[in-house]
Amino acid sequence: MTIAKHVLSALGALALLVAGWPALAQEKFPAHPVTMVVPFPPGGVADQTGRPLAAAMEKVLKQPVIVSNKVGAGGAVGMAAAANAKPDGYTILMALSSISIIPEADKLFDRKPAYQMDQLAPIALISSDPTVLVVPAEMPWKTVADFVADAKKRPGEISFSSSGLYGTLHMAMEMFAHGAGIKLRHVPFNGAGPAMTALLGGHVNALASGPGVVIPQIKAGKLRALAGWGDKRLPVLPDVPTFKELGFKDVEFYIWSGVFVPAATPAEVRKTLRETVKQAVASAEFKDAMTKLETPIAYLDAPEFKKFWDKDAAMLAAAVKKVGRIEEKK
Amino acid sequence: MAETLHNLALGFSVATSPEMLLFAFAGCLVGTLVGMLPGVGPLAGISLLLPATYGLNPTAAIVLLGGIYYGAMYGGSTTSILMRIPGEAASVMTCLDGYAMTQKGRAGAALAIAAIGSFVAGTLSVVGLMLLAPPLADLALRFGPPEYFGLLVLGLFVLAALSGGSVAKTLAMAVLGLFLGTIGIDLMSGFFRFQYGLHELGDGIGIVPVAVGLFGISEILLALGRAEPPRVQKPKLRELLPSRRELAESAAPIGRGTVLGFFIGIIPGSAHIISSFVSYALERKISKHPERFGQGAVAGVAGPESANNAAACGAFVPMLALGVPSGPIPAVMLAALMVHGVAPGPMLMAEQPKLFWGFVASMYIGNLMLLVLNLPLVGLLVNLLRVPYAYLYPAILAFCVLGVYAVNQSVIDVWIMIAMGGLGVLLRKFDFEVAPVVLGLVLSPMLEVALRQSLAMSAGDWSIFVTRPIAATLVGFAVVLALAGVASSLRGRAAWRRRLGLES
Repeated sequence: MTIAKHVLSALGALALLVAGWPALAQEKFPAHPVTMVVPFPPGGVADQTGRPLAAAMEKVLKQPVIVSNKVGAGGAVGMAAAANAKPDGYTILMALSSISIIPEADKLFDRKPAYQMDQLAPIALISSDPTVLVVPAEMPWKTVADFVADAKKRPGEISFSSSGLYGTLHMAMEMFAHGAGIKLRHVPFNGAGPAMTALLGGHVNALASGPGVVIPQIKAGKLRALAGWGDKRLPVLPDVPTFKELGFKDVEFYIWSGVFVPAATPAEVRKTLRETVKQAVASAEFKDAMTKLETPIAYLDAPEFKKFWDKDAAMLAAAVKKVGRIEEKK
Repeated sequence: MAETLHNLALGFSVATSPEMLLFAFAGCLVGTLVGMLPGVGPLAGISLLLPATYGLNPTAAIVLLGGIYYGAMYGGSTTSILMRIPGEAASVMTCLDGYAMTQKGRAGAALAIAAIGSFVAGTLSVVGLMLLAPPLADLALRFGPPEYFGLLVLGLFVLAALSGGSVAKTLAMAVLGLFLGTIGIDLMSGFFRFQYGLHELGDGIGIVPVAVGLFGISEILLALGRAEPPRVQKPKLRELLPSRRELAESAAPIGRGTVLGFFIGIIPGSAHIISSFVSYALERKISKHPERFGQGAVAGVAGPESANNAAACGAFVPMLALGVPSGPIPAVMLAALMVHGVAPGPMLMAEQPKLFWGFVASMYIGNLMLLVLNLPLVGLLVNLLRVPYAYLYPAILAFCVLGVYAVNQSVIDVWIMIAMGGLGVLLRKFDFEVAPVVLGLVLSPMLEVALRQSLAMSAGDWSIFVTRPIAATLVGFAVVLALAGVASSLRGRAAWRRRLGLES
């Protein structure tokens, strides 16, 4: 008898739950798990930032935040998936600077764009890390001035590797080359890892890299850092000047990561998400995770992030246009 | 030497703690399963489990992930041998002779030889890693795009030696594979090629859907066309183990596969996939009975299976000695270390002796575990063949679809697999071999990128391939092979004409 009673009451509760589900979902976000789309493979910058953030957001939202790596076409597949997702706040996107490059490259090649930037609305900037110019230690250049002087002597002969054509590491180098008025030889690779391997093997002469991966190589005496792209020196490399200090005014570049939602997401849901990310970023566990990765947190809330993004996107669009289509450069 | 032994003792003291033994075992077990599931290879397996390692300490994380990598090399052979379905890209060659052995009732022997070969190769490679890592890593880094190009050109000649059938047919299949490899984004200009508006094709066609389709799905479809169902096998217990002769025949191929695989494995990039192809071609080339290949030659299982395990271990050389992300899998493993605040670099071995030597020792233990795990499994797995085909084939199809979909969560990949299954049926009906298609697809994107990166490095000057010693040696070797091939085919033609009395 008692068992039957329990079963009945459980069934009743279940029925209530099912009946009440849509109503609940409309009333209060979040009523079920949130998916965080990471458009890059596990182990990449976006993934390594996204996972601890998702873990910290769960505690605030009281709902699971599931990381889903939707990989392909340099991030275009995942970003397009998020841009076209149902705008209910249950799909959020963890993206990098390349979010502004892909639509520009699509434009350059007259392709049907994977997504438009106005399909996505910014929630918060999470991190922003300036790239560093590194050369193999056996190269003669001790300063940027040496490098530029040599490059002017033999235009197009000093080579650099990159994570891929129009990729972030390529754009950073082009900004510097343009600012210094020099011509370098570009050897694109498929990702930042192979680009670093080629530099360490001495197959190319320079690379603009994120600071985390180069510091052990600099300490071991394999690589030398000449300058950074930030607006101030990196705490881990206090002796390395910035391009700004050296008089290159517009040479500023960051690999940043930020959270986005589909543009049509309702304002109150966006507000909840903004508040969630703000608290998550401030949590001790997230700070600890980012310290281990040696990536500084650079939190900006949606309005300031929007300004930052607009400026960065304009800069990147200009850089992509400057590089142009490869064939047309001959 | 004394220092190495001292370090190794330290390593074993780390690796034999109950916690590390557990993680090594878990890694090996998951790896074996990941290898068996068609489609899901070691990269997908490691990527899926990476987040789970965030809560562990860095040594445990790398022991677990490493176990998945070399465990997958053990497991990958199982479905290749039993069902002609490559569990992952490195097991494609095992489908040929491994499955032929199964059809002859030697499935147990093939599985056992694959496990023994993997064990020998894995263990010897760890010795190589332990003793030679720093000098080998420096050598590996000297492989830039021109050297890579030379190696891949050599790989092209391997294609010709893959099958015993008509050379024209083999080359036609290779060219088909090379063409399939041109689909996707052009790395050097950013253009999409043959993409037809599908963003999923931007990264090109995956090797796994093509291999599973051409080998596995086609086998199932062909079975449907037969008037009688394939005979259900009833393997006897005493037939499970390899005979003395089979063991003797596999010893030398295991040795050659190990050396070959290890050296191909240390080269940064994705060349480790071709290690099993090269090993198969080598064994066929130097065999006294090349006609047995494809009909269940023991060497055709022993060589490639040893090579892929040795290559998996070789890939750890530049990763551990220099902190270089030398391929997609080492890159993910380095990420696992970075999450824990261990910065991988040239100082890793000196600064983290417990981690490095603990990992090395765990690989000795892991290989032993895999042997102990896999040999008894042989008996169990062979019994899968007792399942009537009416139940077995639908189950295999379901696993193929699931596995191929799971890698990128892409339905397009499933369609590619199905289309390739149809293509495979047609090709095999007309007596074309499908292995060259897969090797062509593996080689094509790497070959193109290496060529164009080399020319970007030299600003279009082709002399870059002869002025760099390693590249020049490899290209020279390839030219000699090409000339030898042309000469032998000319001689053959002349002999044919003489036989017909066309020339006096």
